Parts: sequence; structure tokens; C-alpha cells
Amino acid sequence: MSGGATPRHDPPLLVVGTDHRCAPLPLRERVAYDPAAAEELLVHLLARDEVAEALLLSTCNRTEVYALPRDEEPGYRLVRERAFLARAPELESAGRLYVKRGVEAARHLLRVAAGLESMVLGEPEVLGQVKQAAALADAVGSSGVVLRRLAAGAAAAGARARAETAIASGAVSLGYAVVELARNIFTALDRTRVLILGAGETARLTARALLDRGALEVRLANRTPERSRALREELPELAEVPWGDLLPAVAAADVVIASTAAPEPVLTAAALRETTGRRPGRPLLVVDLGVPRNVEAEAARLDTVFLHSLDSLEALIDRNLRHRREEVPAVEELVERELSRFRAWYRTLEAEPLVARLQKQAERIRAEELARALAELPPESHDAVDRLTRALVRKILHHPSARLRGKEGGEDLPRLDLVRELFRLDDDEG
Amino acid sequence: MSPLDRFLDAANVLLPVVYLSAAVAYGYLFFTGGERARRLATPLLAATVALHLAALAATWARWQQLPAATVAQALSVVAFAVAVVYLFVEHYGRERSTGLWLVGLVFLFQLLASLLRRPDVPDRELYGSPLFAVHVSLALLGYAAFAVAAAYGYLFLRLYRELKAGRFSTFFGRLPPLEVLERMMVGALGVGLVALAASVGLGVVWADLLFGRGWITDPKIVITFATLALYALALLLRRLGRWHGRQTALASLVGLGAILFSLLAVNLLFTDFHGFL
Repeated sequence: MSGGATPRHDPPLLVVGTDHRCAPLPLRERVAYDPAAAEELLVHLLARDEVAEALLLSTCNRTEVYALPRDEEPGYRLVRERAFLARAPELESAGRLYVKRGVEAARHLLRVAAGLESMVLGEPEVLGQVKQAAALADAVGSSGVVLRRLAAGAAAAGARARAETAIASGAVSLGYAVVELARNIFTALDRTRVLILGAGETARLTARALLDRGALEVRLANRTPERSRALREELPELAEVPWGDLLPAVAAADVVIASTAAPEPVLTAAALRETTGRRPGRPLLVVDLGVPRNVEAEAARLDTVFLHSLDSLEALIDRNLRHRREEVPAVEELVERELSRFRAWYRTLEAEPLVARLQKQAERIRAEELARALAELPPESHDAVDRLTRALVRKILHHPSARLRGKEGGEDLPRLDLVRELFRLDDDEG
Repeated sequence: MSPLDRFLDAANVLLPVVYLSAAVAYGYLFFTGGERARRLATPLLAATVALHLAALAATWARWQQLPAATVAQALSVVAFAVAVVYLFVEHYGRERSTGLWLVGLVFLFQLLASLLRRPDVPDRELYGSPLFAVHVSLALLGYAAFAVAAAYGYLFLRLYRELKAGRFSTFFGRLPPLEVLERMMVGALGVGLVALAASVGLGVVWADLLFGRGWITDPKIVITFATLALYALALLLRRLGRWHGRQTALASLVGLGAILFSLLAVNLLFTDFHGFL
């Protein structure tokens, strides 16, 4: 748990959470919030004095509550106990929960949205989940000016990370690795016919990935009709092929995914030689995900057959993850730029009323002294003196106002409370 | 030295240098996808092609004949044609990943042209003939198309090998898909075959009329016929399904080798009758 007081010109934010690195799935499941439970939690937090704003991000790999506490320690205790310990007291053990404060909390949300904190680096779903969390907090009324602005910054950071870097590029799952292979062979996936052998989990994931990416046709062949039926109920776009029509179906396909539990190969090299002979010149991508193999290794020697196994798909995924890791510094730079923008915005939020009060005080003093002086000056000089005093006040306050807004100078920003005290601005209110 | 000669001398040095710079920019784009390279590569190539066009026009003006009277001039025209074809492919195909290879080939052709350039150009009555211009233009178009085919054939083979071996390194994910590379290669082969066959056909008829002698045994002619036969056979076997992309790609590389051999070694060392190109 990180501590330390928040610098005065940074928002007093707080995040309390747990993720795939801190807690195993069974624990995380107990603090996963569906939309109804999330709404209930946010309403509860909002009703309490300790917290001014709150936002809940709950995904399969993390649950985090971002809050703007009115009082740091009571706010932290409330969130920790109500959002986490009430549902899973085991999270009290060391290392199960993390807390970040101030700019670190803000940075964390930006990093999460950019995919830097995901189990799979750069995964795209988390950006949508951050936006959904922000939308829910907005609908419930638990997010205010600060968290809305932070969430918008996180969404912007996430979008830019994916648009301007390769953090999300390249397949990092089996299904999408097959898609990536197909894209390197065939002109377009939407002109590609796929045949899947088997109806297990791997077949399901691969079929889903190919359908999501717009394959022209995905057909399924399985020895067990019941299992095929179950998969086809889940993915109605799948067309069925009787097992007896396997070879003609292979001849008609561009991609064959073999994922059966058969103890012997279901596709021999001879059978593939014969079927590819019926489609001269057209490449055939065969992905053998079976253990033991569903396709004879000899088939790899056929000129137009590209035979890949689990090993080569894993090699592709490793390569893509390596490339994503190389993008991390660029994404971190993007995150820091967005964070600076958020901090600068927050500063104007605090500084603007102060600048207004300073200028109001200066104007009041000017008006009082001017009234006294004008009584002793000839009338024809009144306009000129009025203009002179306005210009003086404007010039004297110009630099201090700009500094307070953070528009001039570097990191060493003047403390707002010191300014308040020096000019007795709190006395001047009202 | 006239201003035209000075310009031609300068262009002779500048062209390979700038083509190399463009190839480097495309190379940077290929390997890193960098924004700066993305913005620089195409304009740099387009500017170089414009300079090249000016140099070719200046050559024509200087010698008052088609700028294809020497090996160097022919290579330069082929380089220009390949660069133009590539810009066309890039623009309409919205595809820049093959730029490094094609512009690299352009650089090599232009470098050879610049190194082989002679201060004087043979002045034969033949060069002024419109038939000569058509014959040579068709031949150079054919050579350029075969060069493009060889470039795409090379890329096809590299990607093919990575995909076959399950090795995902330099070319995987960076090039157009295998089917597209094959289509580009075969398309270029087709154009080259038609153009060169037309050029050879015209040349045969014309030579017979002009010389009426045994030019058929000229080494340059023999190699050209053999090259045409190889390309025709490759396309026929592919059409019949006996050859696939890999064999066609290999044939395109062998064919380019034969063309370069006939343009350089044979033309410079062996031929008499066909001693200009």
C-alpha cells in the first residue's frame, strides 16, 4: 500500500483494487460486480460523507474503486471495507489489495485504459470496460467533475495508445493467431472458407475468432453430432458438414482447423495430396491443434499446404508479445502526456477561483483609492487616471495570475494556500 | 561543355544517390513503420522519378534519338519504368510494404546504368527509325515488367518460406499476403511476355527485311528466345496447375538473371549484330 500526502496542486484521488497479479481467480470472482451490484455500491459510497466522487471498474481480471475522498483516511477505509472486505475478508492479507493516491491513482487508470496493466499486454477490451465504468458512474451520479475528466483522459490515452503505437497489434490468442496466419496467405478473410474439425473448446474459440474477423464461411465437422449441435447453438453462423463428407469439404476449404481428440490422424498426407490436386495452385492452410496430431506431419511437404501446429502458433504469439513489449515505452510516454494534461486541468480548477478573488480584491482596492484621488484631481484628468490605474493593476497581476494557472514556469508551482494567506483572500470573500 | 551535358553528368551521379535514399526511406518504413519515413518515402521517390524523366528527355534532346542506344541508356529506361510501375502499384493498391524491394531494384539498375555510361553514343541510321523506337520501347517495357515480376517473386519466396517453416521473422506480417504477391508477379510476367514477344516479333520481321542474313544465331537473340520460352512455359504450367507460386517465382528470378546476362555480358562481349542492346 503506497502512502504519502498528496501535493496540494494534485487532485486528492484514491484507488483501491485487486487484480490478476494480487489475487487468484476465486477471490477476484467474489469482488466482481455486475452492473446492478456496481450501481448499488456507488450509490452507497455517494451517500456517505467520506467520499465526494466514486467510479468502479470491475472486469474478469481486476476490480478497482477510484474515489475522490473528502477526507483521505476515512475515505480509504470506507472503500476498502465496503467494496472489498465485506465480500472477501481474505483480501485483508498482505499483498491482496493495492492502494494508490493522488497522481499515482490517476496514472494507474490511464495505464489500465492503455492496456499496460492487463494480463495480456495491450488487450483491447479494457478500454471499452473503462468507458462503461465511467458511463455507469455518470448515470448514477457518483462521478463528478474530477473523475469524469480523469475517465475522459483515460479513454483518450487508451485510444491514442492503440492508434499511434503497436501495443495492441498482432494476435496473442490461439484463435486470432490463426486469423493472422490466414491474413498472410489469403487475399482477404471475407473470401476465405474455413473448415473446423472437432467441437471442443479450442474449436469454439477459433471459430469465434474467425467469425468475428469476417471469414466468408465457417463449417464444422465432428464425429459426435450432439457436440456439434451444442456448438452450433452457441454459434449459429456455423454450417455443419457430415463427417463422411470430410475430404470434399477439405477440398472446398481454404483453412482447415483440426482440433479433435482422435488418437490417430484424421487427415493423412495422401488424402491431402489428393484433395489439393483437385484445387491446383490454391494454398491450403492446415492448423493442427490436436494432441496427438490430427494431421500427418508428411503433409507439410506438399507445395501448396501450409501446416501449422500448436508450437508454431505459440511461437507467433510469443513474437507478437515481444513486439508489444517493445511498444511499452512509447505508450508510457503517451500516458505521461495525458497525465500532465489532467494535472494542468486540475490546477486551473483550483487556481481559477483564487485568481478571480485576487483580481476582485485588486479591483476593489483600485476603485477605493481612485475615488479618494479623483476628489482632488481636475475632472479632465479622471479618464486618464482611471485608465492608468487599470493598466497598473492588470500589469502587476498578469504574471502572478499566469503562474497560478500554471501557464508559465516549470514544476515549482506556487502554493495556492500561501497566495491565499499572503493576500488574505479568504477574509475578502463575501 | 553545354548546359545539357552538364545536367546529364550531374543527373548521372544524382539519380542513383537519390534512388538509394528513397530505398532507405522505404526500408525504414518496412522495418519500423515510422511516421517520418511514411511522410518522406513517396515524395522522395516521386521527385526522383521526375528528375529521371527530365534526364531521359535531356538525353533524347542531346542525341536526337530514343534514349536507348546503349546498354547504359537501356538500363536507365528500365529503372525509370520500374519506378513508375511501383508508384502506380503504391497509389492504386495503397500498398507501400514492397517499396524497399522495388525501389532497391530501381537503384541497382540505375547504378549499373550510371557506371556503364559512355560519353559518346553510337550514331546509326537505324536509331532514327520509328520501328527501332517501337521495337526497343516494347523490349524495355518487357524487361521492366520482368524485373517487377522478379521482385515480387523474391518476396513471394521469402514469405512462402517463413510460412512453410513456421518462422515468423522479417517478412511475416509486413508484406501483402502470398496470394496477392503471386497475382502481382504473374500479372507482371504476363505484361512482360506480351511486350517482349511483340518486340521480338517485330525485330524478327524487320531484321529479315533489312539484313536478310543469319541473325538468328546471334547470342543475344538466342538468349532472348530462351528467356521468352521459359516465361511462356512458366505461365502455361501454372495455368495447367502443374506449377504453383513457388515454381513460378523461381522461374521469374531465373528469367531476370537471363535478361541481365543478355543485357550486360552478352551485349558487351559476344554479340555483333545486336551490339546496341
